[in-house]
Amino acid sequence: MRDQLNPEAGEPPALPAPRRPSSPPEHVPERLAYLDSATRRINSALDLAATLRNAGRVLVPALADAAVVHLRDPLPNVEREPGFPEQLRIHHSQGTRLGRRGRPAGDDRRDRYGARYGSRYGARSSADPGPATPVTRGGALAHTLLSRRPAEPVVLGAAGDSGSARTTELLRELYGARGLARLSPGTSVLALPLRGRKTVLGLLVLIRRPPAKSGRPGFDATDTATAAHLATQAGLAVDTALRYAREWEIANELQRSMLPLRLPQPHGVRLAQRYLPGERGAQVGGDWYDAVPLPGNRVALIVGDVMGHSLTSAAIMGQLRTSAQTLAALDLPPHEVLYHLDEQAQRLGREQHLATCVYAVYDPIANRVVLANAGHVPPVLVQPDGTAELLDLEAGAPIGVGGVDFSSVELPAPPGSALLLFTDGLVETRSRPLSDGLELLRARLAGAHRHAPEHLCQEALRILPPGDRGDDIALLAACFDGIPAGDVAHWYLQPRNETPGRARRLAAHTLRRWGLEALTEATELMVSELVTNAVQHATRPVTLSLVRTTRLRCEVGDDSPLLPRPRRTGPEDERGRGLQIVARCAERWGATRLGTGKVVWFEQRLP
Amino acid sequence: MTTGQISDPFPVGEDAGDDDGSDVLRRRAERALQAVAFDTIGTGYAEAFPAKDGQLACGRRLLALLEPGAAVLDVGCGNGEPTVRQLVGAGMRVTGVDLSDVMLTLARQAPHPGPYPPVLHRMDMYDLATERARSAWNVPRLGPAGRGTFDAVTAFFSLILLPQDEIPVVLGRLRELLRPGGLLALGMVEADLDHVPLPFLGRELRISGYLREDLERVLLAAGFAVEEQEGRPYAPASTSLPPEEQLFLCCRRTG
Repeated sequence: MRDQLNPEAGEPPALPAPRRPSSPPEHVPERLAYLDSATRRINSALDLAATLRNAGRVLVPALADAAVVHLRDPLPNVEREPGFPEQLRIHHSQGTRLGRRGRPAGDDRRDRYGARYGSRYGARSSADPGPATPVTRGGALAHTLLSRRPAEPVVLGAAGDSGSARTTELLRELYGARGLARLSPGTSVLALPLRGRKTVLGLLVLIRRPPAKSGRPGFDATDTATAAHLATQAGLAVDTALRYAREWEIANELQRSMLPLRLPQPHGVRLAQRYLPGERGAQVGGDWYDAVPLPGNRVALIVGDVMGHSLTSAAIMGQLRTSAQTLAALDLPPHEVLYHLDEQAQRLGREQHLATCVYAVYDPIANRVVLANAGHVPPVLVQPDGTAELLDLEAGAPIGVGGVDFSSVELPAPPGSALLLFTDGLVETRSRPLSDGLELLRARLAGAHRHAPEHLCQEALRILPPGDRGDDIALLAACFDGIPAGDVAHWYLQPRNETPGRARRLAAHTLRRWGLEALTEATELMVSELVTNAVQHATRPVTLSLVRTTRLRCEVGDDSPLLPRPRRTGPEDERGRGLQIVARCAERWGATRLGTGKVVWFEQRLP
Repeated sequence: MTTGQISDPFPVGEDAGDDDGSDVLRRRAERALQAVAFDTIGTGYAEAFPAKDGQLACGRRLLALLEPGAAVLDVGCGNGEPTVRQLVGAGMRVTGVDLSDVMLTLARQAPHPGPYPPVLHRMDMYDLATERARSAWNVPRLGPAGRGTFDAVTAFFSLILLPQDEIPVVLGRLRELLRPGGLLALGMVEADLDHVPLPFLGRELRISGYLREDLERVLLAAGFAVEEQEGRPYAPASTSLPPEEQLFLCCRRTG
C-alpha cells in the first residue's frame, strides 16, 4: 500500500481570502471549503513524515507564515498511556529556521535518531531534527501541552496579559532566549497542542510575521478556531501514522520471529541467508527461507513467498514454513513436498492463501541437487567455472492452487558450484521488469562462485536500485563443497541375528581404512546397539552408513517408523539400553522419521 | 521398445535343473522384468555411473595376465562401457552377453576399436554352459559346446541381479566355460542382500550381495581362488542411489 491515499494531495488548497482583517460572514463558504480541503489533505497519508509535510503545506502560507511541529521524544506507543511528555523534538518546520540551533559538537543523536525513526516510521522530515527540548513540569510548555482550553494567540512585544506572558515563556522554553530574540516585535504566535486519541503527542506552533512585513494582521478569532480545528486533525493524523507504524512493526516482528535466526551448518555445503523487509509503509511480506538437514548428509534448501502483504501473510508464512520443515524431515522427494504443502495450504483458513516456493535438496555425496518449483522465480546455479544460469525449472502452480502436479529436476552440482534461491523482491522493482532483474542477477553472480555464500548474498543485493523498495526480500545462498566418496561407506544388511556383529566388523574395517582406530571401540559398541534395535523391527534390509567429515557420523536406517525412545530400564531389562549407551558415548545423536521408515544417527568428534 | 523376451520360446521341460516348472517360470519372468527395467533405464545407467575407475583398474589387472587374442566372455556387458571397449582395445577376442535389448543396442552402436570386433549375444547368464544356450538363445558356442574355451570371464555388477542361491550356480557355469587356470574378474556391491527389491533409477530392481568374507567363501566353494581383492567406495551420480562399497576380485579357476 502506498502512503498517499489521496491523489489530489499534491496540490495546495486554495486560499480563502486570508488577507482580510477579519472574515466577514460572506467568506464563510470559502473558509469552510479551505477547512474541508485542508482536513482531507492532512489525513491523506499514513506515514508520519508525509502527514507532517501535508500539515505544513496546508497551514503555510494559507493560515500562517511559518509552522513548527514538535513531537514527544521518544515517539510514544499510542496504544498505551505514555505519561508526562518528558521532552519534545522538532519533526517538521515550514517557513522558519526557528529551533534549529547548531548541535553541540560530538552530538551524534541525530544519526541515531535518523537510524531509529527514519527507517522505522518512514519519517523524512523537511526539518533538520534539532536537539530534544526538555519539558519542565509546571512550566508554560507543560501547561499548554496539558491544557484543555483552546489556545489564545499572542502578539510579541504587545502589552501582555497573563496568556501572552505564558506564551512568551513557552517560546523561550522551546527556542531559548536567542531563538526568541530572532522574532520581531509584532510577530503573532499561536501554540496548539497536538492531541492523539489517548494522549498529547506534541505541539504545533504557528507564526505570523508582524503586519508591517507580511501585510496581514495577527491571528483573529476565526483564524484561531480554524487553526485549532486543523491542529485537532493533525493530532489525530499523527496518532494514526504512529499506529500504522506500530502495526507494521508488529507485523515485521512477527515475520522476523518466524524466520530461523541461524541456519544449520551441514557438512559439504556452506550456507548464508538474508532477509530484508519491505521499506515503505506497513508492507510486511511473507517471504521465508529455511534449511533442513536430512539423512545421508543431504540438506533441503527452501525459499518461499506468501502472496500479499499483511499480518496474515506473515502468519501464513509461519505455518507453511513449519509444514515445509516437517515434510522435508520426512525426506520426501521435492515435488512430493510441494504437493503436500499445497494440500496443507488449502486447509489454512477460509480464504485461499497462495505462496510460491522453490524446494531443493543438495546431496553432497552424489554431488547432485534436486529441485522442484511452485510458481517461484527461477534460482541461479553457478558452475565451478563461474558460468551462472537461471534454472529453467517447470514453474508449476503456486502453493494453494490445489490439484496441480509438481515435478523434480535433478542436476549435477559438482564441488565448487553454488546455488542462490531468492524471492522476487530482489529482481522485480517498480522501475525494473522481472526479466531484466533476473538477467542482471545472473550476470552479477557469474564468477562470484569462488567466494563464501555471504559474498554471494552481497553480490546479489548489489543489483538493487537505490531508493525505496516495495517488496521484502529473502535470500539463501549455498556453496557446494561435496563430500568425497572415499569418506563415505554405506551398506544394505538383511535383518538377521548375526547382522549386529557384521555391522560391527564393517564399521571397524572402515575406521581402520580411515585411520580412526581410536574411535573403533565406541563406534562398534554404538553401531551394534543401533543395529540390534533396527533388526528387531525391520522387515526390509537395514542400512548402515559412515561418513567422515570434521565429525564421524553413523546412520542406521530401517523401515519401521517407530522412533526409539530412551527408557528407564531395570537391571533385568535388555531392551532400551542401546540408546542410553549411544546417548552417553556420542557427541550428538538423534532419530529422524522418514517417509519410508527411520534413521537413527550419532556423531563423534574426530580424535 | 521390445525386449524380445515375450517372443522367446519357453520349453519348460528342457531346463536341466531340478527345479519344478513353476519355479523356472517364475525365475524367468523375474529375469525378463529385470531386462525390461534395464531397457527403460537405458542411457540413464551411464549417467548414474559415469566414472568406473575401479572396474577399469580391475580390467587392467586381468589384461596383465592375458595374452593378446585371448578369448574373454563379458557377462552382463550392458552398453559395453567400459569393459568391452577396454578388452577389445587391448586386442582380446570378446564375447558379450546381456539380457537387455536396449543395452545391447547401445553396445552395438558404440565404436569398439581393436583387432577383433566384439561378438554380442542376447541371453540370460543363467543359461550359460547349458543346453538352453542353443535351444532358447541360439548361441550353441556358449552352451555345453563352449566348455573350457575361454581364457577369462568378466562379470561386473551382473551377478548381483541373481538371487543368492543362483549365484553359486552361475559361478559354476562360468567356471565350466573357463579353461583350467582361466581367470574370473568380478565386480560386486558389498551388502548382505538376497534378491531384495531396491529403488534403482526410478525403477525397482532385485539386488543380491555378500559381505566380502562371505563372497570369498562362495567363490572358493564354486571352484575359484581369489588372487586379488579391492574394495572401493563409490558414489553414484544420482540422489536416488545411495553410495556403495564396490568389491573387485581377480580369481582363478582351481582344478
